[in-house]
Parts: sequence; structure tokens; C-alpha cells
Amino acid sequence: MSADTALSARGVRMEYRDRNTNQPLLAIEDVDLDLAEGEFVALLGPSGCGKSTFLKIVNGLLKATAGEIRLRKGRKGREDAMVFQDAALFPWYSVLDNVAYGLVCAGVPRREARRRALPLIELVGLTGFAEKYPYQLSGGMQQRANLARALAVDAEILLMDEPFASLDAQTREDMQAELLRIWTAAKKTVLFVTHQIDEAVYLSDRVIVMAARPGRVIADIAIELPRPRELDVKLTPEFVRYEQRIWELIARQRPTTATAAGTQTRT
Amino acid sequence: MSLAEAAQLASRGHPPRLRRLLAIGGASERLLYGSVGLVGLTVIWEVTSGLGLYRRSLLSSPSLIWSAAVTDFGSGTIWPHIAVSLNEFAIGSLVAFAVGIPLGFAIGLFRRLDYFASVLLAGLYATPNVALIPLIVLVAGIGLESKVIVVFLSTFFSIVVSTVSGVHSVARRHIEITRSFGGSQWLAFRSVVLPSTIPFILSGIRIGAGRALVGVVSAEFLSANVGLGFYISLYGQFLDTSRVMLGIVLFGLFGIVIGELVRVVERRFEAWRPEIH
Repeated sequence: MSADTALSARGVRMEYRDRNTNQPLLAIEDVDLDLAEGEFVALLGPSGCGKSTFLKIVNGLLKATAGEIRLRKGRKGREDAMVFQDAALFPWYSVLDNVAYGLVCAGVPRREARRRALPLIELVGLTGFAEKYPYQLSGGMQQRANLARALAVDAEILLMDEPFASLDAQTREDMQAELLRIWTAAKKTVLFVTHQIDEAVYLSDRVIVMAARPGRVIADIAIELPRPRELDVKLTPEFVRYEQRIWELIARQRPTTATAAGTQTRT
Repeated sequence: MSLAEAAQLASRGHPPRLRRLLAIGGASERLLYGSVGLVGLTVIWEVTSGLGLYRRSLLSSPSLIWSAAVTDFGSGTIWPHIAVSLNEFAIGSLVAFAVGIPLGFAIGLFRRLDYFASVLLAGLYATPNVALIPLIVLVAGIGLESKVIVVFLSTFFSIVVSTVSGVHSVARRHIEITRSFGGSQWLAFRSVVLPSTIPFILSGIRIGAGRALVGVVSAEFLSANVGLGFYISLYGQFLDTSRVMLGIVLFGLFGIVIGELVRVVERRFEAWRPEIH
């Protein structure tokens, strides 16, 4: 693992035992992945391709059946921090306490954690909302707080699990642009899981395309669009070409006749 | 102005003064509407009993209950009954909370303990405690001890069952957040399990307190020589319905006071919940 590698995964494999049939299921088949420091990489694929499972393995929430994950040692805080999908704030905590929670988990005293959380609340644009409760926030603002909590622990790598999936299209685009702004300011390595092609292309330096059953990597595409990127980059021919290329890769994986491939019997 | 416009204007609401009268807002509004029900019922009761629609000796009337209260509170003869009942209630239910809440957490958190206890709990929760009173009296006598046991049993199972369902309601993903950031099990308990469970515990306390009052009365009916339940059954035998009603009203007041106390605690813990109305 070279000095500027933030994450290195080798032969990561995940097997489940189906609860009903007791048959072994292969969720992820031998995934290799390297992330350079400061790189923004999207993990793109249809549901069931194991992309979120892979993220949880990196985070340590799940244990892989086989393979190895190496993360760059945290210089200040944890190695990695997770930004969860939705409803990931504690409704009984204020925004400030939610943002400070990652630090509290690391053993930082409550007062100190709150003090250190405050600048992150400003960075994600939630100034003035520190004492509000999650139910008083819109979906987009809740995800800003979710992001601030992960940033507060000052981890080397941010793991983002479809953080904008439940937002409406407009808010999602605003949040994508915001994320790039924050990413530039915070200088983090990001591994971003999504099933949206345009989101992956717009945000990333590299898009890793995954296929399902079993979950595996089928392509690794460098996105050479200049930065900083504004939202209107999505209208350029280069952007659309990337989208088409990825779309075709995914479409090729689709079974042409559902019944012949037996997908109807699968759930 | 068209008819539709007029209708729309009319449906805008009451004229300001009436609206102000109906919605004074907040705590005072609750007090106003709450007492209207109570006062209204009292007035209807008083008026209909005065009209001779039924026999006063059977249903008494608010004024007769009031004069019974003045007599018995004046002479002080009712105080020992109230004190004894409250004491039984307080000891029995506090012990039930002190034992039931930790036990509920333990059952909720540890799967094997849950398997072990859930069948027993379901059975005991459904058993009418009144059925046990004769047995308890045989074992513990007719004094304070037997009443405390009855109150304890009445309250204990509802508090355990509510606490267990509170723990089971904890969202898996909330626990995942603590784990994801490397927080300890103890932190997960304090910051996730406890706040998720408190609303359930409070409703368990509410239900448990109600059942505890039932326990007090039932136990005192069957075997006692002091206490409000005894007071009610004693004067029932003398056909003194005003004193019977006085006892019932006092129990009703306990119920209201307990309900309000739980409400105060609930509000303290639930600032983070959106108001439903």
C-alpha cells in the first residue's frame, strides 16, 4: 500500500445464508479497489449489487467472508466516517448534539464535542439551526447535518451510502453541488455509493460500475471533466457521453427475457 | 360577491372575539376545556337529582357528596383512610417501577432472557390480579403487606411489558450509527436505547398507576379495616351513597393528579417530538 493510498481492498467477498431457504448467497464476489488520497470515487450499480454492503464492510459494520481492507491510519481522527442514507439523525438530539455524536463516540467529552461540532454546522450551511430538532428540518437539511457529523470526526475517508436518495430531484442537485464545495474545502477522500448515473459522473474522479448477482466490479471509468464543476456541466456533450457509456454497461447486464433468466422467481 | 365567495368567506372561521374566547391558547385552553366537562357533568347531576328523576338515596347528588365531605374532612375521620390507601399505592407502585423497569430493559436487551420470560409474562399479565387476593391475604394477612403485594402485582407486569416493547422498538439503524462511529455498548444504551424507550416506560407508568388504584380498591374491598376502599364498602353496607360517592370521587382525583404528573414528565422528555395538534 503506497503512501498516498487512502483505501485498498483486495479480494473482498461476502456470502450470506438465505434466511428462508438456508441456501448460501454470494452478495459480493472478489472485489478489488484502490482509492488515492483526496480522490472522489463513486460506486455505482443497481440495487442488490452489494455496493452498500461493500461500504459497510469498509466501515466495519459488517465482516467480509474473505478478503482484506486496508485503510490509511487516521492522522487526527478515525480512519473512516459514514454518511448514512436517510433518517440517520437521532430525533431526540438537537442538530448540534447529532453533529457532535461521532466525537462523543470517540470518547470526546460532551462539551468539547459540541464546541468542535459548531464550525462544521457552519461549513454545511446550517448556521442558526444548531438548537433545532431533526423534525424541524427539511430532508436536505437533515442530510447536511448527517454529513457534518461525519466531517466532525475528521476521518481520512468519508463513506457515503446513497445520502441523497430520498431527496427530491431539485434538492438532490443542490446537495450535489454543495457536496463538491464542501469536499473542496474539507479535502477528504470520498467513497460514494449511488444508483444514479448522473450523480456518479457529476461528483466523481472515477466511477466504479458494479453488476448484481453476484455483486462484482465490471468497469472503472475515469471522469476527466474539469473541476470545479458547476451543475450545468451535466448539459455538456462530454458529460452525456459518460452517462451513455455507463448506461450501456449497466444495460448489457440486464437479462433480456426476465422469465428465461428466472428473475421472476427471485426476490 | 358570488355565493361561492360568500361561502368561502363564512368558512374562514369565527369572528375574532369568539375565536379568542374558544382558543385562548396553550395550558389555559386545556384547563378551560377540561373543567367544562367536569363542571357540566356536576351541574347536570345536581339538577336532575333535584328534579326527582331518580331516587337520591341511590345516586346521591353533588351537594350531598359535598356535605359528606365537609363532615368527614371536618371531623378528620377520613384522613386515615386516605393516608393508608395512598401509602399502599405509593409503596407498591414504586417498588414495581424500581424492579420492573430494569427487568424490562434486561429482557428487551438479552434474547435468551426474553425467550425465558416472555411466555411467563404474557400469562401473568393477563391474569386478573383480583383472583389472587384471597391467596395473598392468606399468606400476608390483612395489613399493609398484602395490599402492597396486590398493588405491586397490578403494576409490575404492565411496566415490564411496556419497557420490553420500548426496547424492541429501538431502530436498528440508530444502533448502527453508534457502532459505525465506534461508540461503546454503554453509550449505545444511554444515547439510543434509553431515549427510544422512555415514551414506552411513561405509558407503562400511566397504565400501571391506573391498575395500581384498581388493586388498592379491590384489596381493601375484600379484606381491610382501614383505607378508602374499605370506606366505600363500609358505607355501601349502610346505604350511605353520598360517602360511597365521595370515596369514588377521591379515587377519581388521584387518577387526575397521577395523569397530570406523568404528563409533566412526558413533556420534559419529549421536546423533540412534533406536536400532533
